[in-house]
Amino acid sequence: MQRIFYLVQKEFRQIFRDRAMIGILFVMPLIQITLLGYAITTDVKNVDIVFADLDRTPMSRAFLQRFGHTPYFHPVGVEDDERALPSWLDHGRARLAVVVPTHFQRDIVLGRRPQLQVLVDGIDGNTAGVSLGYLTRIAQQYQSDIIAHDPSLGLRLRDIRLTETETRFLFNPMMESKAYVVPGIVALILLIITVFLTSMGIVREKEIGTLEQLTVTPIRASQLILGKVIPFSILGFVEITVAMGFIYLIFGIAVEGSVLLLFAESAVFVLTTLGVGIFISTISETQQQALFVGWFFMIFAILLSGFFIPIANMPDAVQYLTYLNPLRYFLVILREIYLKGTPLSLLLPETLAMMAFGIGVFGLAVLRYRNVLR
Amino acid sequence: MLIEVRNFSRSYGTRPAVSDLDFTVRRGELFGLIGPDGAGKTTTMRTLVTLLRPDAGTLTVAGNDAVRDTRSIRSMIGYMPQRFSLYPDLSVEQNLRFFGELFSVPKTELPARLERLYRFSRLQPFARRLAGRLSGGMKQKLALSCTLIHNPVLLVLDEPTTGVDPVSRHEFWDILRELRTQGVTILVSTPYMDEARLCDRIVIMHEGRALAQGTPDELIASRPATLTSLAPSLEDVFISLIEENTRHAN
Repeated sequence: MQRIFYLVQKEFRQIFRDRAMIGILFVMPLIQITLLGYAITTDVKNVDIVFADLDRTPMSRAFLQRFGHTPYFHPVGVEDDERALPSWLDHGRARLAVVVPTHFQRDIVLGRRPQLQVLVDGIDGNTAGVSLGYLTRIAQQYQSDIIAHDPSLGLRLRDIRLTETETRFLFNPMMESKAYVVPGIVALILLIITVFLTSMGIVREKEIGTLEQLTVTPIRASQLILGKVIPFSILGFVEITVAMGFIYLIFGIAVEGSVLLLFAESAVFVLTTLGVGIFISTISETQQQALFVGWFFMIFAILLSGFFIPIANMPDAVQYLTYLNPLRYFLVILREIYLKGTPLSLLLPETLAMMAFGIGVFGLAVLRYRNVLR
Repeated sequence: MLIEVRNFSRSYGTRPAVSDLDFTVRRGELFGLIGPDGAGKTTTMRTLVTLLRPDAGTLTVAGNDAVRDTRSIRSMIGYMPQRFSLYPDLSVEQNLRFFGELFSVPKTELPARLERLYRFSRLQPFARRLAGRLSGGMKQKLALSCTLIHNPVLLVLDEPTTGVDPVSRHEFWDILRELRTQGVTILVSTPYMDEARLCDRIVIMHEGRALAQGTPDELIASRPATLTSLAPSLEDVFISLIEENTRHAN
């Protein structure tokens, strides 16, 4: 027991001998949070939009004006002829083109429903879909405003009985992607620290030969592993605490649920990543190899976690594969606790899946470590 | 007998590294494994200190089996591999203390041990310097000090002076001989004949086999004077043994 303490003490001495390390500890989460929080966004803003106003009436102009007053669109021009529109899209000067038909005003006044034609640049399917949604909202809003201002029109339209759906987004009312992305960064930081520092810490001792030196002391393999794993776990927890602080300061997003539960779940998650880190150290002879294998693992873990790409969008076979990814569960848990304050009782399936993986991977890695390094 | 090696064989894949090696080391002896690269010196030492398993034969240290009793062997030996390793980012004293702590040297006794080790290594003035900033000779002395911190019964040193400057080499062997007078048994490997001459007994190894063993004087006496060398040196003995061995093999 005391030996483990000395190993941990030695590890911390080495970590803090490196002044740069302290900087990295605080700067890394700051950069990741700011960069990822702002850059990884599925919000659509300032979409270049061009119009063809074939009606040229007060109503059509008032309708077009509305696009100038939202942050979502950026009107770049108004044409008289709809045939001029495709060239705007072809040259990438606009991503959306709207044709206001002739008799737009007359049709509204008469209670007929004018049809808008919309041309969308579909290269970026996500932006196209989202901006089309915004456009529909603006048109609906315009329609209901007119009805409100003109009671006679409203009376005539009452017979049509429009069914309107009103969507309300809970937990993330502004539909901001940063609320979704940012808690995920906590997982990434934990992943990086534990996988990379653990594997490279062990492999580094292999490289300089001290691992063999430690092996011929009376330390047991299990003590040696604990001596490596404890300092990096502590570091990982310090790191996510710092990260949560930054998330609150920069984005104003605080943990909705129990912070204690969040840490406990993190501990379960870390069991897997430490296991992976130890495993990597048993198959790598140099730090470069460890780094390479670590990246290989991390890319897959992140891509198949639903962090960037929703799992539901993946092919079936790949979706099954994601069940083997502990990050998949941890991301769900993090977001639930962070944004909704979900209690443990509702997170049990994910927690148990993660725990099973953690114990399995960690156990296998330790067994392998003992066989390789005796 | 402190070390007994009987019929020891070990191969890496199909390539034999050591075949049927026999030798014994008495308590308090300075014993040398002598031979060129690839002779099997390192394999023998690594097996003895429980880092490798033998394919055949038995190796014991003070009656402890190198396969079964790994932990008791590990606590009584000090092993310094060819490329000894310290933590370059820890100071001289931190390195020493760390190894002392791992070997459970009592806290009350640690200062006295450190002082004794500083006395012979003369590293006291550099106690706070990072190990990575020491010269080659000083690193070697620190490494030796680290393997001595727990007062081992047996020191196993694998080519401790390879790549060390002549002055430091000389100093290092002075330290070894002083240690022997204090009763530490030392098993050392070296490719240098002048160092072999300083051992109490040696075994000459070549391509995994023991060609001869005895005191350096016995080995020299066992070779008759030839026309080319009237008074053969250990080096002559070594070369003629190897030539003989190669002829047998063909």
